[in-house]
Amino acid sequence: MVKEIEVEPVTRLEGHGDLHVVIDDDGKVKDVQFNITSTRFFEKFVEGRYCEHVPRITPRICGICPIPHHITPTKAVEDAWGVEIPEPAYKLRQLIMNAKQYSSHILHFYALAAPDFLLGPFADPAKRNVVHVINKMPDVGKMALKMMDFGQKLCQEIGGKSVHPISAIVGGMKKPMDEDARDRFLKQVDEQIEFTKKTVEIGLKVVEDYWDVVANVGVVPTYYLGMVKNGIHDIYEGDIRIVSPEGEKTDYKVQNYLDVLGEHIPEHSYATHMYYKPAGYPEGIYRANTLAMINAADKMATPLAQDALQQFRDKVGQVSHHTFAYHWARLIETVEAIEQIKTLLEDPDIVNPDCKTLDVEPREGNGVGVTEAPRGLLLYHIWSDAEGMCKKLNLLVATNHNIAGIEKSLMHTAKQVFEDKALEGLNLPDPWID
Amino acid sequence: MAVKVAFMQLSDCWGCHQSLLNAHLGLLDILPALEFVYWPAVVDYKLDSLKARQDGEILVGFIEGSVRTNEDYESVELMRKKCQLIISFGSCACYGNVHGLANEWKKQELVDRKFHDAESITDENPKEPTKHVPGFREYMVVVDDIINVDAYISGCPPKPEQIVSAVQFLLGQKDFPNEEYSFCTQCPLNEEGCILDKGTLCFGPITSVGCSLKCPGNEDPCVGCFGPSKTAHVRADKLIEKTNDLSNLTSGEKKAMYEFLSLYLNIPLMAGFDLSADILKQIKNKGEAETPLTQLNDKAKQVATNLLEYLKNNLDFHEISNVCDTCPRIIGSNSTMTKVKRDYEGLPNQEECFIEQGYICMGPVTRAGCGGMCIKVNAPCTGCYGQTEWVADQASRFADIAIKGFNVALSKDELLAQVKDHIGTFEKFTLAKNKQFTEEVHK
Repeated sequence: MVKEIEVEPVTRLEGHGDLHVVIDDDGKVKDVQFNITSTRFFEKFVEGRYCEHVPRITPRICGICPIPHHITPTKAVEDAWGVEIPEPAYKLRQLIMNAKQYSSHILHFYALAAPDFLLGPFADPAKRNVVHVINKMPDVGKMALKMMDFGQKLCQEIGGKSVHPISAIVGGMKKPMDEDARDRFLKQVDEQIEFTKKTVEIGLKVVEDYWDVVANVGVVPTYYLGMVKNGIHDIYEGDIRIVSPEGEKTDYKVQNYLDVLGEHIPEHSYATHMYYKPAGYPEGIYRANTLAMINAADKMATPLAQDALQQFRDKVGQVSHHTFAYHWARLIETVEAIEQIKTLLEDPDIVNPDCKTLDVEPREGNGVGVTEAPRGLLLYHIWSDAEGMCKKLNLLVATNHNIAGIEKSLMHTAKQVFEDKALEGLNLPDPWID
Repeated sequence: MAVKVAFMQLSDCWGCHQSLLNAHLGLLDILPALEFVYWPAVVDYKLDSLKARQDGEILVGFIEGSVRTNEDYESVELMRKKCQLIISFGSCACYGNVHGLANEWKKQELVDRKFHDAESITDENPKEPTKHVPGFREYMVVVDDIINVDAYISGCPPKPEQIVSAVQFLLGQKDFPNEEYSFCTQCPLNEEGCILDKGTLCFGPITSVGCSLKCPGNEDPCVGCFGPSKTAHVRADKLIEKTNDLSNLTSGEKKAMYEFLSLYLNIPLMAGFDLSADILKQIKNKGEAETPLTQLNDKAKQVATNLLEYLKNNLDFHEISNVCDTCPRIIGSNSTMTKVKRDYEGLPNQEECFIEQGYICMGPVTRAGCGGMCIKVNAPCTGCYGQTEWVADQASRFADIAIKGFNVALSKDELLAQVKDHIGTFEKFTLAKNKQFTEEVHK
């Protein structure tokens, strides 16, 4: 009998997705679909808007990562109009990007992912959530809340709002950080570094406990899409880097993205399937997000993060295809984020009022802005008319880069689970909490 | 026993949930009182489990997001069946948010741009996905076009404290320290420079001590956020006298009263939280509200009675309050709008009103609640908390209000002609509520 398994909706997910697995009467997995069930057409309804208003609209694409959706279109318009921003604005943007990276990664680790590890994969769904984790592990729960709070408050301080910020403007930033606010955050940053170290310890313990799972379930070779600046991990600017399944790295200027990144429209998902054009579809399906960034980087930008990367590579090699290693990679990026935050808070430019150039004039043309959002590469390609009205927008959103890759790894894992019965022999630890 | 709560996510961004989580340690106060029976963002219950629940089994249902797909529409109807009280949570559910801008186009034009014309698409003949996906509505509507809504929490996103206080209100749960002495006894302005002595509204005499005294430090009045004290300060008589006649409040005083009603009396007028029916009707009919506060001293009771009496005759008080009422910038400044500036032009100073400096700021036509967060980082308001009044031509309404109340040296026609994108400027968050516009485009 053909069996159809539906997961509706996939929970603890930013966005809307269902999962469909079809198993044939011979027990073989016939089809796996990851159905993204909503889209809102931002690409269209920004047409006719002021280009400088686009960054005040697009943060609503993602409430967990609105900062990149504010900064990136601003960069795209600056590229289209040929605007250079002052150094203090550049650093303020890097600071707010890292603050977001930090809080988003911690939210992901503790609120979205940790319930699976801490309660185990077979726990009661009613309990498998962060609320239960906070109740059962109050110390860890409070630490996690304080970490998210720090990152979100810093985003709010610079961005005006932590969810859907407003302080970036074509030409720079509307306001520097106030000195007393800077001092307040600086006082807390060492404690946050300690929290991050504790979180890494928890993460490493989880990896050790679940090593059998990490090493054997969902190990799927794909291409990877990341961003590097001179080979170094960077979330604010740089080149697009493609890593082949064998580990070969190729860099491209972001303006040439159309030569590199192709989009296939599947019949079963509103989020499209991205792939590496030179390799074709489906062979060129790639993954983005933390593991891809870690696979792409020659090295990390900060010392503690570099140590963490080395430890990671010693264990899993130069290129990791381990889907479960995404969580570990996320923690390496978290370390870099908090180190960057400290360095930037100590930089006097953060409170320098020279953060907006007055030399901004609209012109006809198009521009590309790229950053690395917490869940993957984010690209805005915007067309401006001579008066600076938005004519057109092409948008490659972070999560979108992962859809085809997620489906591919789901197919792989479904075969392991339903055909090979791989779960039966797995070595699983006792749950940390019940 | 914990109260059953469900969150429904329509087409959205997750930001309202992020904002709720942003309450961070504040969550610890409310979580034990709630049982989340559906909340895909955080909890693992699937849709089938919600469908399987009895009708009306869930006390409070939060509907968040906008109605773009057929599934969104059906989910709204499902929630109404399962929940006793429905809250439109966030500006998407209340007004459609920026996604409502899509109503400028026919559905096919939206679909073509996304699934056919995008520059990065490589398929030879790409088509709109149709398998295991719900399909799109022709145009967007808002939640209360589909079902009756009991309360609204607007904001994009609503502020965390707004959400937490709304939940506490609904649960009738609010913990105040209720200390013996009033705020005045520790106020740094007690000896010299008392705000009330100067004739300005301040709720210190009936509010409990215990806070960090940040407000008087900034020469702002106490708005009562620590709740009632057991005894009143002698200045309470002055406060009572002041509240005997509330007809001539300054905008700062209006803001203080707003916050007091919400924070101290727990009446959900502030911060974009409207309990649309019950409580306002209660106030209108009886002149009093059933608040969880039972421990008011006599003086505080007198103040509360005065405010409620005022509210009874001014039920639209919360609607007429706008972002300008919470904005510290000078109106009637040395600057005058002689030309409409684009946001990238120059850099506004941080003291004077944006409109008077030449920028379009939606403050005067946007409902209060945010506390002016954008303004604090030198960015004009774009209206995410919603319009203070619903009319077909918001551009015209804005121009009338701006010219009447601010230094503007442009005629209405000149002002409107200099704004090239009327819809994106004046109805960025609310177009889905503009039925006349939608009907014209989609007839």
